[in-house]
Amino acid sequence: MADSDVDMVPTRQVGAGSGNDNQPVPKDSDWVRLQSTDGFCYIVPRKVANMSGTIRNMLDTTGGYAEAQSRTCEIRERGVILEKLVEYMSFKAHHESIGTKEEVPVKEMLDRIPPEIVLELLLAADYQEGV
Amino acid sequence: MATGTGSRRGRAKIMAPRKHGPEFSAEKTWSELARNIREIQDQNASNLSFEENHRFAYNMVLNKHGEMLYSGLKRLVAEDLETLATRNIVPHFPSGTKDPSVQSGEDDLLLASLKAVWTRHINNMVRLGQILKYMDRVYTQTAKVPATNDLGLQLFLKHIIRPPIKDHVLAAILNQIRHERNGYVIDRSTMKGCVDVYLSLEGDMHSTTIYKLDLEPAILKESESFYKREGEELLNSSTAPIFLQSVEQRLKAEEDRVHHYLSSHTKPHLLQILQDNLLSPHLGAVISKENSGLDAMLDNNKTDDLSRLYRLCVMVPQGLPYLKSALKESIVRRGKEINGGSTEDDFIDVEGDLESTDKKGKGKGKTRGPAPGIQPAITWVESVLGLKDKFDAVWEASFQKDREVESAINGAFASFINMNEKCSEFISLFIDDHLKRGLKGKNETEVDEILDKTITVFRFIAEKDVFERYYKGHLAKRLLHGRSVSDDAERGMLAKLKVECGIQFTQKMEGMFTDMRISSDTTRAYLDHVSKTTAPEIELGVIVMTSNAWPMNHSPSSCILPSVMSKATKSFEQFYFSRHSGRRLTWQYSLGNADVIVQFKARSHELNVSTFGLVVLLLFESLGDGDFLSYQDIKDATEIEEVELKRQLQSLACAKWKVLQKHPSGRDINSDDTFSFNDGFSCPMKKVKIGLISSKVENRAERKETRDRIDEERKHQMEACIVRVMKNRKHMTHNDLITEVTVQLTSKYHPEPLAIKKRIEQLIEREYLERCEDRKSYNYLA
Repeated sequence: MADSDVDMVPTRQVGAGSGNDNQPVPKDSDWVRLQSTDGFCYIVPRKVANMSGTIRNMLDTTGGYAEAQSRTCEIRERGVILEKLVEYMSFKAHHESIGTKEEVPVKEMLDRIPPEIVLELLLAADYQEGV
Repeated sequence: MATGTGSRRGRAKIMAPRKHGPEFSAEKTWSELARNIREIQDQNASNLSFEENHRFAYNMVLNKHGEMLYSGLKRLVAEDLETLATRNIVPHFPSGTKDPSVQSGEDDLLLASLKAVWTRHINNMVRLGQILKYMDRVYTQTAKVPATNDLGLQLFLKHIIRPPIKDHVLAAILNQIRHERNGYVIDRSTMKGCVDVYLSLEGDMHSTTIYKLDLEPAILKESESFYKREGEELLNSSTAPIFLQSVEQRLKAEEDRVHHYLSSHTKPHLLQILQDNLLSPHLGAVISKENSGLDAMLDNNKTDDLSRLYRLCVMVPQGLPYLKSALKESIVRRGKEINGGSTEDDFIDVEGDLESTDKKGKGKGKTRGPAPGIQPAITWVESVLGLKDKFDAVWEASFQKDREVESAINGAFASFINMNEKCSEFISLFIDDHLKRGLKGKNETEVDEILDKTITVFRFIAEKDVFERYYKGHLAKRLLHGRSVSDDAERGMLAKLKVECGIQFTQKMEGMFTDMRISSDTTRAYLDHVSKTTAPEIELGVIVMTSNAWPMNHSPSSCILPSVMSKATKSFEQFYFSRHSGRRLTWQYSLGNADVIVQFKARSHELNVSTFGLVVLLLFESLGDGDFLSYQDIKDATEIEEVELKRQLQSLACAKWKVLQKHPSGRDINSDDTFSFNDGFSCPMKKVKIGLISSKVENRAERKETRDRIDEERKHQMEACIVRVMKNRKHMTHNDLITEVTVQLTSKYHPEPLAIKKRIEQLIEREYLERCEDRKSYNYLA
C-alpha cells in the first residue's frame, strides 16, 4: 500500500499547526499508523487522522488509551474501505486548510467511490464520525 | 462521506454491509465494558484499547441497549465517586483544632483532596466521554438525558458536594480566606482549584453555578462580619492616616483576592461590603479624629494622606459630603482664628498713640513697613491669602481639582470672611497699602500676582457696595496725595474690579482718574496763564473733583485763609470760571497740602504740611521771638473745626518733628494750651514731611458712620431697583418683587426681605406704587 502513501504526498505539504489541535504536545505533523483488519497499513499525518472524531479521540493523549501510546490505530475495516477513508480524510484536511476560496471538488471525490463499497463505507463513516 | 450514497452506478454490484453476528450479547458486552470502565477509573486507560471499548459502546447503542449502557455508566460513576469520597476526602475532615495555623493546614489538605478528586473525576469523564461518544451522539439526545460530561458533573454534585463534605469544604474555604485576611499565607492555587469546582457546577435549572448559590453568599456574609469588626477595631486603635492606609490596603487585597481565586462577579459585591462596613460608617469619625484627622493632615501638609482620604471619599456616596463639611468646618475655624486675631478692639484704644508714632515713622519717607495703623488689616488679608493658598494647594495636589470640593472651600471662605465685618475695609486697605508701598519692593508681576489673589478674596465678599465705598475712599486719598506708586497698577486693579463686578462698579472710580487728568491739564494752563499776567505769591496746584464721583464730604470746611492764600484761590477761581461758566467751586482745604520753606535758627527747611497746617503756621510768621499764641487765639484766627484743629496742632507740636512748641508739653492738645514757634528746630534733612494723615483702620465711631452712610445708600438703591422693576412689569406680586429685587442686587450685597418690604411701603406712601385689592401684589403708578 505504499502507493496510497504516495497519494498522500500533497497533504504532507500542508503546514503543521493550522488545524484544530487540541493537544499542544502531539504535533499535527506527527505521523500515525492506521491498520486495517486484513493487514494493510497507512501512515498518515496526525492532522489527517484527526479528521475522524473517533480516531482523534483514539489518539488523544489526555485520554491516554493504548492507541494513543503506540500511535497505532486498529481500524476494523477492510483495507479497501480504510483506503477510501484515508483518501477522504486527506481530501477533507487539504481543503479545510486552504480555506474556501476555491470550490471544493466534492463531485470528483464522489466519483472516485466505487459503488460496490458504498454501503460498507457508509457504515464505516458513521462509526468513524467522519462528517 | 455520507453523501457517498448519492452515487449510483447501475451496473455495479453493491455489496451488502457487514452483518453484526448473532453472537452479540448485550450483557456480555456490558460486563466487558464495565470492567474496562473500572479500569479507566483506576487510571489504567493506557492498557486498554480505545477501539475495543468504543466498539462495545457503539454496538450496545446500535443494538438498542443504550439505556442499559447509560444507567450502567451512571451507577459505575456514582460508585466511583462514593469510594473517592470515603477514601480521599473524609479522612481530611478537620479535627476541630483551635490553633489557626494547624487549622489552616488541615483546611488546605481538605481542599487539596477535593481538588484532586475533582481533577481525577473530570479526567475520567473525559476518557469515558471519548469511548462513549457514539452514545452521546445517538442515545442521550433522543432519550433526553444529560450527555456523559454533564452526567459526570451532576453526579459529582450529588455524591461529593453533599453534607457533610459540602459543609466542611465551605467552612474550609471561609477559614482560609479569613486566615489570609489575618495576614497569613495560604495556598492560593488550591483555593483557586476549589473555587473553580464550585464555578463549574450548576446547582439549579437556570444554570446558576453553585458558586453563586452557596459559596458567594457565604463569603460575602463572612466578609461583612469580618469587616464590620475590623472597622470598629481599626477606628479605635489607630490614627486616621493609618486607618485610611489600612482601608486602602484592604480594598486592594480584596481586589487581589478576587483576581486570584474568586469569581470576578464577586468583586463588586465584595468591594461594596468593604465600603459599607469598613469605610462609610467610620469615615465621619475618621475625618474628625482628634490629632490625626483632617485637621491634623491639613496642619502638617500630609498630601499623601489627604489624597488617600479623597480617593476613599469619592468611593462611597456619603464620603464627599463628609469631606466637604469637614473641610468647611476646618476652614471656618481657621478663618475665625484669623478674624479673632485682627478684630480685637484693643488696637483701636491705642489708636491715638499709633497715629503719633505713625507720623514719626513717616518722617523720613523711607520706612518700608506698613503703617502700624493698618497692620491688622494687612495681617488679616495676608493670613486669609495664606490660608487660601494652602487650601488651593491641597485642592490641587490631593483632591484632584474636584469641583464640588472647590465650591465647598469657596463657600467656607466666603462664610468666614463675611463674618468679619471689617473684611471690605481690610481688603481695600491691603490693596491701598500695596499700591502705595508694595510696588517698591516687588516687581510688577509679583504685585500683579498679589492683587490677583486679593481679587479672589474680594470675590467672597457679600457686601460689595461696602468694599466699593472703602476702595473709593482709599483711592481718592491716594490720588489726592499723589501716593499712588504706579498709575498702571492702579488702572490694572480697576480693570480687575471691572471684570469682577461690571462697569457700574468702577464708573465713579474712573471718573476720579479722569478728574485727575483734566486737573493736571487745567493746572498747567492756569500756571501758563498766571505767568503771563499777575502771578500770586503762592504757586497753586488745583485738583477739580466732580462732586458725585469722589467720596468726600461735600460741605465746605470752614477756614479763614491768610490773605496770601485767599488771593491765590481767587486768582484760580477767576481763571476757572472764565473757562467754564456756570460751575461752582467749593474748596476742600482739608484734602490739600503745601510745601513751605521755613527759616529756623540753624538753617532753613522745606516743610511739607497740610493746607490747614500751613494756615496755622502762617499765624506764627508775624510773631516775634518768644511770643505765644493760645489755643483759643488760633481757633479764632482760623475757624478751623475743633477736632481738625487739634489734629493739626498735634502733628505740628507733638509728633516727631516739633515745628511748634506746646506749653505745657504733652501728648494731647487741651483748650488752654499755648504754642510758640520752635526756632531751635533741627533736622538732618532739608525736606521734612509733616503729619500726613495715613489711611488706617477705622475706629468704632467712624465705622458706624460708614455703616450708616452705606445703609442710606442701600435704601436708595433698593428703591431705585423696585421702581425699575415695577416700571417694567407694571403689576407684580409681593413675593415675585422681593425675589426679583434680591436677584438684581445680589451682585452688590444681599438685601434683607424685610428691608425691601420697608422700601416698598415707603414707595406706596410716596405714591409710586399702590397695593392691589388682593393685598398680595402691587401696581406701578406712572
